[in-house]
Amino acid sequence: MANNPTRDGEGVEDRHDRILVIGAGSSGLTAAKNLRERGFHVDVVEREPHVGGNWNIDGSASRVYDSTRMISSKPFTQYPDFPMPDTAPDYLHHTDVRAYLERYAAHFGLDRVVERSTPVEEVEPLARGFDVALTGADGTRHWRRYRRLVVANGHNWAPKWPTYPGQDTFTGELLHSAGYRSGDQLAGKRVVVVGAGNTGCDIAVEAAHRAEVTVHSTRRAYWYAPKYVLGKPADQVSDLIFALRLPTRLTQALFQATARLVVGRYERYGLPTPDHRFLETHPIVNQQLLYHVGHGAITPKPDVAGFDGDEVVFTDGSRVQADLVLFATGYLIRFPFLPDGLIPGGDRPRLLRNVLHPDRTDLAVIGLIQPDSGQFALVHWQSVLLASFLELESRAPTAAHRYLREAAHQLDDRSQAGIDLVDSTRHLVEVEHAAYARDLEKDLAVLARRLAAVAA
Amino acid sequence: MSRRAVQPQGEKVQRRLDWTFPPPPVPREVRHARPAAPVPGRPPVLCVHGAGMGAWAFDRWLPALAAAGWHAVAVSLRGHGESPLPDRAAITSLRHYEHDVLQTITELPAPPVLVGHSLGAVVVQRVLERYRSAPAGVLLSAPPPDHGLALVAALARHDPATLARGVVGLRTRPRARTLVGPGTPQDEAERLVLRLTAEPVPAALQVILPRRRPLIRTPVLVIGGGEDRIVPAATVARTARLLGTRAHLFRGMGHNLHLERGWEDVLEVVLTWLGRTVEVATPGPQAP
Ligand SMILES: Cc1cc2nc3c(=O)[nH]c(=O)nc-3n(C[C@H](O)[C@H](O)[C@H](O)COP(=O)(O)OP(=O)(O)OC[C@H]3O[C@@H](n4cnc5c(N)ncnc54)[C@H](O)[C@@H]3O)c2cc1C
Repeated sequence: MANNPTRDGEGVEDRHDRILVIGAGSSGLTAAKNLRERGFHVDVVEREPHVGGNWNIDGSASRVYDSTRMISSKPFTQYPDFPMPDTAPDYLHHTDVRAYLERYAAHFGLDRVVERSTPVEEVEPLARGFDVALTGADGTRHWRRYRRLVVANGHNWAPKWPTYPGQDTFTGELLHSAGYRSGDQLAGKRVVVVGAGNTGCDIAVEAAHRAEVTVHSTRRAYWYAPKYVLGKPADQVSDLIFALRLPTRLTQALFQATARLVVGRYERYGLPTPDHRFLETHPIVNQQLLYHVGHGAITPKPDVAGFDGDEVVFTDGSRVQADLVLFATGYLIRFPFLPDGLIPGGDRPRLLRNVLHPDRTDLAVIGLIQPDSGQFALVHWQSVLLASFLELESRAPTAAHRYLREAAHQLDDRSQAGIDLVDSTRHLVEVEHAAYARDLEKDLAVLARRLAAVAA
Repeated sequence: MSRRAVQPQGEKVQRRLDWTFPPPPVPREVRHARPAAPVPGRPPVLCVHGAGMGAWAFDRWLPALAAAGWHAVAVSLRGHGESPLPDRAAITSLRHYEHDVLQTITELPAPPVLVGHSLGAVVVQRVLERYRSAPAGVLLSAPPPDHGLALVAALARHDPATLARGVVGLRTRPRARTLVGPGTPQDEAERLVLRLTAEPVPAALQVILPRRRPLIRTPVLVIGGGEDRIVPAATVARTARLLGTRAHLFRGMGHNLHLERGWEDVLEVVLTWLGRTVEVATPGPQAP
């Protein structure tokens, strides 16, 4: 190919108008599907030999463990145009999610599109578009040129390690939940689980069955939402409360009353009272934790203060001996293949609706949300937003730039339904699902009008 | 240029009712007819029956579609054919039927062409808004996307007794002559009437009363019968207009284009259109 561009004497394969999607997890798959549906040509590259991302437990960046079941029920989680099967339970086991994603990929013909075992190593922005370095399935590195890039590499894989005094000299084992796969890793040990996210609570419950001693350390007292209320998945009931669109305080009071009714007073279990209102932290959906606390199988403790030999010291001065300390302390947002600063905002990415780059029309991120609910459905709509935006951009570039300028004020509006979240790194990309869906619907209506205007 | 640009709304992202009261699962009757020599790359064709019918309504079309090289599928909506209602069904409405069709779609290997007849064509219009990967839609005797008030007027004119019984909530079946066109013999028409089951009131009312107009981008073929006494030709023409296309009307045929004498001619038109639309066109605008 004579007139292809080169880099350092090496050929660069020009992919012209094809869009590159990086990652074939639940987000990359729906991005590719929705872009193709609008007539765009799409390449998808995936580092692993399979699709499904996090939900394929064999994947190197998968963070599920053998007891992982979804915490969001089917209607909130499924893609709106590809419902989860009627035969599946309300909350899917991770193996069922994997099968679901594989069927989605096959049904929409993405199987043939995804280039597996093809990691992106490096991205170099051009004035318009990008040069992308890839390692192919045959192990060779090569460059390609794309005009548009969609990043869907997930944000639940880079472990966030805390540091405490004495940690280096602790004689027991330290593990991050990123390396936790099965309860076998806990069997017969004295275990301290640090962190009360959904993963931390799942692992504490597993430890209650498998470990010799289970201590659960949490920085603050959380609200634990049950999985079922009135015999229905709790998110379906709570969405009814949201649907009333009451003043925030009243909504919170209703949730707290429901929690009281179903769970009771946390003090009775020996847990501290939550220091914040319901909905001000990412919901923790776990019905079994309190049960095991009540049975003495899990000992609740406050935050870790430090380590001392084979002991973990807590902020209340108490100490326990431990063989294994398991940090379920969450994950960091990382784009290792992008140059620093390409995505504005640093640790708290500043993107329109968490998707569009505020200045560049050739770069978007898909899946960068942490909803209080299911992820796939909202990410589907993110992708539709992106496809509509790119359709506008390909028909009338100036209209697309104008859209970005006029939407810039949203950058500080985070779809949180007027709730002030407790300041914590776990809430960097938190959205309240109903408010986010409402906002996306509005954005899509605006884009539909603009598209109609340029088509007329 | 096209009337499609007139459609005002955007996407329906918020589906509160489906989130908080998801349709209860039911087993579904799904019939398949597969071609002896499948044509690579061809999508399946999924057929959705009308009120009071079932997958059986496509018993003539399925083998004929398969003979023409299409993988043909028909589903019975809940409470129809061999698909039961859930044990404790509170209300059965169009969104439950929409769910049944979507569930069936997810079991197919690729996005299907959607065929809907009458009430089934209303369901298909809803599905086409939600499931945009369908390569094409075929609407037979289809009520318009915004309301079906004309159906009441038609029934009042041709079959007032049936309408009256329906209004007071009595179980009712239309007269044989209301159901089919003049070309179909009386005994065949009577047999068809006997196969009909009662349609739940909420779903039937939804077809008639004003409703939100779905935003459809899929290419559609709209076909009606010149002697249709349930969804009159003029109403089918209106359906087509609102969907940005023109109706194809079959003189001498009634409401059941896929069952009446002459169904082969209707299918022929569908096959020709599908051949043009599905195999040549790629959906949506091309990236520049
Ligand atoms: C334990 C656990 C439980 C969860 N439970 C729920 C739940 O109940 N409900 C819910 O909605 N969500 C849940 N989530 C959130 C979950 O992260 C999302 O559901 C979803 O899997 C995120 O998908 P994604 O595609 O954005 O990221 P991922 O699934 O992580 O996919 C990213 C993909 O990108 C690929 N990739 C990364 N870098 C490169 C590169 N350089 N080159 C090529 N490919 C690359 C990866 O290999 C991967 O396949 C849970 C997460 C965890 C960890």
